Amino acid sequence: MRHWLSRPRAALLATGLAIGLASGLTGCEGESSPTPSQGFAGLGAGAEGFRQAAPGTPLRFPEDHGPHPDYRIEWWYLTANLEDATGEPLGVQWTLFRQAQLPPAERPETPGPWAASQLWMAHMAVSHGETHRVAERFARSGSLASDRERDQAGVTAWPFRAWLDDWVLASQVSESGRDALDRLTLSARAGAEGSRFGYRLALDAEGPLVRHGRNGFSQKAADGQGSIYVSQPFYRVSGEVTLDGRSRQVTGHAWLDREWSSQLLGPDQSGWDWFSLHLADGHKLMAFRLRGGGDRGGDFLSGSWITPDGKVTPLDDDALDLTPLATSAVAGRELPTRWRLRIPEQDLDLVVEAPNANRWMATTVNYWEGEVIALDRDSGDTLGEGYLEMTGY
Amino acid sequence: MRLILTALATLLSHYKRHPGQLAMLLLGLWVAGALWSGVQAINASARDSYARAEALFTTGLDRLERRDGEPLEREDFVTLRRAGLPVSPLIEGRVVASTGERLTVVGIDPLTLPGDSAFATAGSGGELTAFFTPPWQTRVAPDTAPRLGLERQAAPGAEPVLADGRQLPPLAIAPSLPPDTLVVDIAVAARLLERGSALSRLVTAPDALETPPKGYRLSRAESLVDPGELTESFHLNLTAMALLALIVGLFIVQAALGLALEQRLGLLRTLRALGVPGRTLVALLALELALLGVIGALAGITSGVWLARVLLPDVAATLQSLYGAAVGTQLRLPWHYWLGGLGVTLGGLFVAGSGMLWRAARLGVLGLGQAQAWRAGFQRQLRGQVLAGTLAAAVALAVWSWLATRPAGEGLVAGFVLIAALMLACALWLSPLLAAGLAGLGGLARHHPLTQWALADLQLQLPRLSLAMMALLIALSANLGVGSMVGGFRLTFLDWLDQRLTADLYLRPPAEQFDAVQAWLEERDEVAALLPTANAETTLLEVRAGGDGRRLEVPVSLFGITPGARLTPTWPLLATRAGRDAAWTALEEGDAFINEQLALGQGIGPGDRLVLSAPGGRQPVTVAAVYPDYGNPRGEVLFASATLRERFAAAPGSLGIVLAASAPSGEHETEARSTALSQALTERFALDSQALIDQREVKALSTEIFERTFAITRALNALTLAVAALALLASLLAQARERRRRLAPLWALGVTRARLANIQLGQLGGAALVTGLAAIPLGIAITACLVAVINVAAFGWRLPLHVFPGEMALTLATALGVALLAAILPVLKLWRTPPRTLLAEEEAT
Repeated sequence: MRHWLSRPRAALLATGLAIGLASGLTGCEGESSPTPSQGFAGLGAGAEGFRQAAPGTPLRFPEDHGPHPDYRIEWWYLTANLEDATGEPLGVQWTLFRQAQLPPAERPETPGPWAASQLWMAHMAVSHGETHRVAERFARSGSLASDRERDQAGVTAWPFRAWLDDWVLASQVSESGRDALDRLTLSARAGAEGSRFGYRLALDAEGPLVRHGRNGFSQKAADGQGSIYVSQPFYRVSGEVTLDGRSRQVTGHAWLDREWSSQLLGPDQSGWDWFSLHLADGHKLMAFRLRGGGDRGGDFLSGSWITPDGKVTPLDDDALDLTPLATSAVAGRELPTRWRLRIPEQDLDLVVEAPNANRWMATTVNYWEGEVIALDRDSGDTLGEGYLEMTGY
Repeated sequence: MRLILTALATLLSHYKRHPGQLAMLLLGLWVAGALWSGVQAINASARDSYARAEALFTTGLDRLERRDGEPLEREDFVTLRRAGLPVSPLIEGRVVASTGERLTVVGIDPLTLPGDSAFATAGSGGELTAFFTPPWQTRVAPDTAPRLGLERQAAPGAEPVLADGRQLPPLAIAPSLPPDTLVVDIAVAARLLERGSALSRLVTAPDALETPPKGYRLSRAESLVDPGELTESFHLNLTAMALLALIVGLFIVQAALGLALEQRLGLLRTLRALGVPGRTLVALLALELALLGVIGALAGITSGVWLARVLLPDVAATLQSLYGAAVGTQLRLPWHYWLGGLGVTLGGLFVAGSGMLWRAARLGVLGLGQAQAWRAGFQRQLRGQVLAGTLAAAVALAVWSWLATRPAGEGLVAGFVLIAALMLACALWLSPLLAAGLAGLGGLARHHPLTQWALADLQLQLPRLSLAMMALLIALSANLGVGSMVGGFRLTFLDWLDQRLTADLYLRPPAEQFDAVQAWLEERDEVAALLPTANAETTLLEVRAGGDGRRLEVPVSLFGITPGARLTPTWPLLATRAGRDAAWTALEEGDAFINEQLALGQGIGPGDRLVLSAPGGRQPVTVAAVYPDYGNPRGEVLFASATLRERFAAAPGSLGIVLAASAPSGEHETEARSTALSQALTERFALDSQALIDQREVKALSTEIFERTFAITRALNALTLAVAALALLASLLAQARERRRRLAPLWALGVTRARLANIQLGQLGGAALVTGLAAIPLGIAITACLVAVINVAAFGWRLPLHVFPGEMALTLATALGVALLAAILPVLKLWRTPPRTLLAEEEAT
């Protein structure tokens, strides 16, 4: 997930923490839940007292790889399209969400050791063919920077490390002058003996960090609200994935999103559809559609066309066209798993489809997140692969 | 249909003419139902409390402790989590509400608590965010609100203030929580209990960890003490008492039903002669039973609930003090309770009424109800009773011989069966005994015609009296048995308290101040000796007796005392390996004593070797002696405090302070000096007032707990006896009219009314005396069973058998008193009835 929007993500986080904890906090996997995700809409309020994402906010790295506790919500979101030695495709997701519980001004000066001013939620998923395994975890932390490294969950900017329990995304970069996210390792595992799943991956960036929207400010609605949104879409991955107790060596591409904001989904936005694509010619494409919140009550579309050397062309409503073509029944819902994605300026007309529709994340907050392939609409040739996330269905 | 209605109305009209019989029937049903359902209501409420407690966290989750005995810290939690272990932190402690009630605070981290544990579902349907975000939430069961000084309705959202002035987060009601428990976020608990970053324990889902992480000890959920199991025996005791009351009540019912049938025989025959089929008649009688049963049972259950409400606080206090199990003082009754109560009362009624229905079904249309014919039938019945009684005695003997072969501490249910069989045998033999006695006496009284008549007359009454007498016998003997057991226990317990409480003052300083307080006290002149104790928990891993070793996994508590001149001469020991002195020397050298519960429960004796789990690994110790430990539900191993603190890293417990004896140390002076010392202590160490307790206070408190423990037993016992007395009274009153008719010829023959009255009193008094005398040996036998079998199995301790002549005299007096009271009303009536009326009654037959 990623990407999208800040608001959506925030909604996800907020409802996740508010509703779902009651039933099963650990390792939910498998079965989908028919509960409607009422949390994806109607959570527009509650951002008072937090810092607001605004155009022109300067970005500084490595500091901005770390958490921004004065913004309400934030995430570190990684998806990977992999294949094993026999060419079998696999998908991997790992996300760490942060949500501030209190605006900065209301935080106690001396929080006790168990203060929960920041809540953390992590999701992981491994998918292969019809198999889709999911787990989630939660943690709390105070807002004090001093002992952050001794928390159950947190993120440090340098050396970069994002963790919840033993699920860790950590930088292997030690020399200054390189971006902290250039080389990462990711490891997480869940499930009982015999049905264990997880991964140990090494990620090497083959391109620069990219900033979406206006120098990192990504607008999310026609009224101007948005988030700070940065990605590292150029990872080459190698490592090991375990599924149902069986391990295999894998290689492939990964995409890391960083986003922070304080605004939740607007009252007229019901959810979103978000794409991240690795095209075979080295281009990357990010595109999303927020359902509602556009001009005259329409959908709000936005995206980024990224060249192999990391140059970003923002795409707006006029430059981008997203149309659902077919739906699949998943977890008691109808979700569009086949799309037409058009960027006339690039002369790109794609059909993006999910080879396996059962990628429902039956987590506390539930959504659809899975691998997709991109085909040329005319020739039917495969032009790339990536991830699709759909919420609010 | 009309025929049936008319017949039913005719049958019921009997009770209109004899409202006394109806009252007696309903009374029997009512008291039987009330006692039974009262006790069941208590049991149901208590079980509900246990179920809520068990569902919480104490028994459902595995727990981790540090092997080095150090308290767990937040850092342990974070380190283990980051190593991938699914542990969750928990803080537990007590706070004092503004009402003075002590409440348990449980602080949890819902973000990591295993999801299927009860908290996750405990009424948390809504906003969990509110639980761990300021201003937080306090989750409580509705029955906890009054403990916080709140009305139930006012509880949600209230922010009660505690005795120390701290304010609780707003209350949220969660009915599935155990009583007297506040569940809060761990951040709140750390603040309320001033724990900083310390934890009470780390928990994990059952079997989530195969082996404990290095440096930690893992206790499996199933090896933790389960209040439901511990208290099972207590509830079984209560149930047995209630069953006794139910049976006695049903005796009344049966007597009343028999009488009602007897008097309606003519009516029944008339109805048959008029064409009502026999089967219809029986069905109608059954319908009548059902009607009465429903009325009686409903009245019984209603009163039972009231009774339970009155008794529950005592029961709750008992369970809390005896087993540490929190039980709500508000009744919570499941739906099946109501059905069960109705079912048992109605079922009992039909058992009691089956005899009547059977006789009605076999009623000959032409047969005449002759007294002599009836008597012949009674002879057959007596022979049947002798046989049945012998059978019951054989069962008792068989159970007893089986019990004799079992290790002590087993056979709780068998113990109750033994008592029931004994009582049944005696009750069944009672009527034949009375009949035989009367026959024998009749021979002796050949030359005293009036006496002879009185004996013969009593024989005639016997069939109707016998059931009431049986009920009286059972109630008397149970009363004597339980009374002697409680009395004996009381003597033993008070004695034991005196022997164990040797210091003048007991101080419980906070663990971190313990050493400083001890050092300060050692310097004081008025302190003659200090007796520090220590506590720890561990697991008994192995018992080696002779060459054999048995592997176990039994949780035991460890207790450390300071053997010294003040303590060793009086501290009671039940068995030693080589005498008292040797035992104390051995204790100082590092051997252990074990309590009687552990000795009986695991079959351990002096000289055996135990292997205990200790911070440094397995710790072998030798058992030097066994000591009595009343009121403790758990197995305990006793060491010298120094040994315990060194080998098991035990936390310091209390400090016993022996004051120096100054010349004529009057009570007054001791009190003054202890007050002075406690003031000095409080000032120097800022201890709270609860930390220092006077020896007399401890004794008073313990005695009070003891009294409360048996308050319910005594109450039930007295009620049972009252029911039996009522049974006797009711059966006598019911036949008073008929008896007067029989006296009329005697009066006509010239016997004065005073003599007639005396004869009546003599008849009943004699029968009651025999019953009372029979109750004495039976009562002693019951006491013996209670102390030798049931107490050992239920509590784990054996008591000496005490016999109280006073109790016996009281039993006899009760029997006589009840009988005379029952006889006196008819006698008064006889006194006032004009002779003409008596004769008229005689003619009427």
